[in-house]
Amino acid sequence: MTKLTELTSALADLNKERVDNLVGAKLEGGIAPMMIINELNAGLGMVGDRFTAGEYFLSELIYSSHIMKGIMEKLEPRLGDVASGKSAGTVVIGTVKGDIHDIGKNIVVTLLRGAGFEVIDLGVDVAAATFVKSVAETDAKALGLSALLNFTIPEMKKVVDALVSAKVREQVRVVIGGAPADEQVREFTGADFYAADAPSGVKICQQIYNFG
Amino acid sequence: MSKEKKRLFNERLTRYQATIALESTDRMIVGGTGSNYFAEAFAGYSRQETIYDGSKWLATLSRFAESFPKVDLLRTSRSVWAPLVDAVGYRLFKIPGRDLPPDIEFQYVEEEWMKIDDYDLLIRNLVQFMMERYLPRVLAEFEERGSTRSYIAFLKGGMAYIMRAQQLKQWSAHMEREYGLPSPLQGVTYAPFDVLADKLRGLQGIMIDIHERPEKVIEACNALIPHVVNTALAGADPLKRLPIFIPLHRGCHPFLSPRQFDAFYWPSLKKVIMMLIEAGYTIRAYLEGDWTPNWHHYNEFPRGKIICDIDNKADIFRAKAEIGDTVCLGGGIPDSMFILGTPEQVRSRVRQLCETVGKDGGLIINGGCAIPYDTRTENFRAYVEATLEYGRYSDTIIRPELKPVPKPAPGRPALGLPPKTITPWDVKLEEMGGVTGDEALIKNYWEMLEAQVYGWLLFWAW
Repeated sequence: MTKLTELTSALADLNKERVDNLVGAKLEGGIAPMMIINELNAGLGMVGDRFTAGEYFLSELIYSSHIMKGIMEKLEPRLGDVASGKSAGTVVIGTVKGDIHDIGKNIVVTLLRGAGFEVIDLGVDVAAATFVKSVAETDAKALGLSALLNFTIPEMKKVVDALVSAKVREQVRVVIGGAPADEQVREFTGADFYAADAPSGVKICQQIYNFG
Repeated sequence: MSKEKKRLFNERLTRYQATIALESTDRMIVGGTGSNYFAEAFAGYSRQETIYDGSKWLATLSRFAESFPKVDLLRTSRSVWAPLVDAVGYRLFKIPGRDLPPDIEFQYVEEEWMKIDDYDLLIRNLVQFMMERYLPRVLAEFEERGSTRSYIAFLKGGMAYIMRAQQLKQWSAHMEREYGLPSPLQGVTYAPFDVLADKLRGLQGIMIDIHERPEKVIEACNALIPHVVNTALAGADPLKRLPIFIPLHRGCHPFLSPRQFDAFYWPSLKKVIMMLIEAGYTIRAYLEGDWTPNWHHYNEFPRGKIICDIDNKADIFRAKAEIGDTVCLGGGIPDSMFILGTPEQVRSRVRQLCETVGKDGGLIINGGCAIPYDTRTENFRAYVEATLEYGRYSDTIIRPELKPVPKPAPGRPALGLPPKTITPWDVKLEEMGGVTGDEALIKNYWEMLEAQVYGWLLFWAW
């Protein structure tokens, strides 16, 4: 657990100017970029917690990612091949075929990364076979299917069926989320979980990986 | 129109008006949704066929009307007519049969089409912003401004826009004449914040802006008010019988905190709605997503002027308790029940809604802001029958007489808004050095065409 540093708090409080200044000073002082990223990830984790607690909203979540993205652009060239530390687990996620919306999915991805997961984000309009391939290749235990439009309900079922056909269904738990998803849809698609919102999606992934 | 169809039309319209006004009616409205996607797909044409070919669009709606003669309202207008999109190369939509498989509905491509530096120009001069910054980015055919192709694109785009407007008129006249069916809405506009957040800055952009340049966001929302109101009035029912449609997107929870909602979203939207109500119109607002923490604001409006459609993610029972004394509600059946449920489930849900939320009126049973495309026909039938069975309030047939409406003053800009012109008549008159005959005759046509062009320019940002 990273302790609450000035930089962690600055990001958690969405103080972009302060984050920029602190990161600049740390880099000048020769602090390793990976150390800086760890402090910032702790800040993103706090943003996620505040969102879950109802203190923050999507505007804060999106803004925190924006601040982080700006910093990462500066840090990434200096990173080299350093590993980013222990992962909480791997989650494959994407918007199902036929649907090109990604706002909801991107929010879940941000929260998952903040919670320490390695996220394989397959993007939008993802075919069932692509989900299956990614699950098989990564050994992920959690698969997130996102959608905004309700004609995608059969497509979600198709992904679950394809996992069965490819004999990887046992390896992975399927979580559905987005506007059309509810308990009735979960049952129809054969998914394991329905996430009513982004934080509950993260919580479900933590349950799947058996911690948190 | 036959006498019977006219009687039916008036009866349905009167029932709808009374329902919105929270007055007593003989029964609940059947099929009173503002967006009947089920009807749009009913005849089995592909999405490509109905988004391109107006005759197929009308055919599917007609087939629906014939199959469900008890339905009281049916919208005939559609937001996207693909030939108009193609004429100018509008980049914001993916179109079935062109970019998407022919059987998938059109989808919207969200990007930062307006840049941060554009705020000042948008606030100062929206038309100039559209011509110089926005349209060259969103209309592929206008990218090379001044080229032959760009002129032709404007010409084709203008022609297609007028064709679309004529189609809309013909379709609604057809439904009125053949089936006695009124539309659930006429004319459309948007919350100023949604204009910025949807097609101009995009969600990502606006969420950064409210943190980094909050005063510009508020200034821009305020600058958009007259244009948003003008847009509503341009398409609205001149007789003020039907509500103006306002689909609301980013006001839902948890996009904005309640404090952000109060600062950025609500003040300009409230002004727009109040101006329209004061001008004698009613409103049909889609509260898309979950509006629970924010919908109490609807109690700020006069009673009986607004329908709020409640989406799947929110609880219509709670909406009834919190805003049901001020507004009429729409919704109550989860989309998933229409798509995956059984007729028995639908029946029992309709009965529950009739006995609770709709017990004393003020409810239009609907899906979450729409009847979904993939609704099972037997479920829709169960919904119609159950609404007729459980949604009866009195045996008295309502009088088929419509409320009188005040006549709009001809030729005057409504509500004290700026006239909808790009080149005002006075400028033209000065250039000509006066006219020899009846000035009003020349001016009226000048301004009529200017208003069409103004509407066309803004159309691409709404």
